[in-house]
Amino acid sequence: MIRTQVSLREEEYAAAKEEAARLGISLAELLRRSLRRVLPAAGRPPWMRYAGMVESGDPRSSQRIDEIVYGNKS
Amino acid sequence: MATSPEAYVDTSAFIAFTDGSDTHHALFARLFAAPPRLVTTSLVVAEGHGWFLRRFDRTRALGFLAMVEMLAPLVILAVTAKEIAAATRLMRRFSDQDLTLADAVGLHLMSVRKTRSCWSTDRHLRLTGIPLVIDQT
Repeated sequence: MIRTQVSLREEEYAAAKEEAARLGISLAELLRRSLRRVLPAAGRPPWMRYAGMVESGDPRSSQRIDEIVYGNKS
Repeated sequence: MATSPEAYVDTSAFIAFTDGSDTHHALFARLFAAPPRLVTTSLVVAEGHGWFLRRFDRTRALGFLAMVEMLAPLVILAVTAKEIAAATRLMRRFSDQDLTLADAVGLHLMSVRKTRSCWSTDRHLRLTGIPLVIDQT
């Protein structure tokens, strides 16, 4: 492990602490997890960092695009 | 008749890839990890961007565009009046379906380019007989 310092705005720090508490992990672990999501893993194409970049909670998300983009019929 | 080794990428494939909640996420994560030459259209990119804007926010919508920029095997085909005219003919042929212009242009281009691999979860993209990748794996 390498120790480093980062500067955060107060609201970023507070939000990060809150999220870490919600997940039951340390602030350092939250930052490590966040970095792993942003940085491409070795040997993976760079666009793979976007795999699962969002969680809509909808298992049929890709089949409901027209409803979102064009809206429902009234 | 020779077919093209390229795959056509529909908006639904991009969403299944980027949305970890989607049923087909694992399949598209595997496909995008080692893709062949990919083609899509500017309409599909616009739909994908619009989906992120409406469903999430500007930041994620920009993230989607960054992914498209980064996706080196992807060629974005221009949609001109010629493609729109051909797509309109297809929409008239399938006038019992709620085909979007993006869907119809995709169907037209797959036919013209002899593309036999369609990355999509949208049943509309099956209309001309080209199987979807979700049916083949």
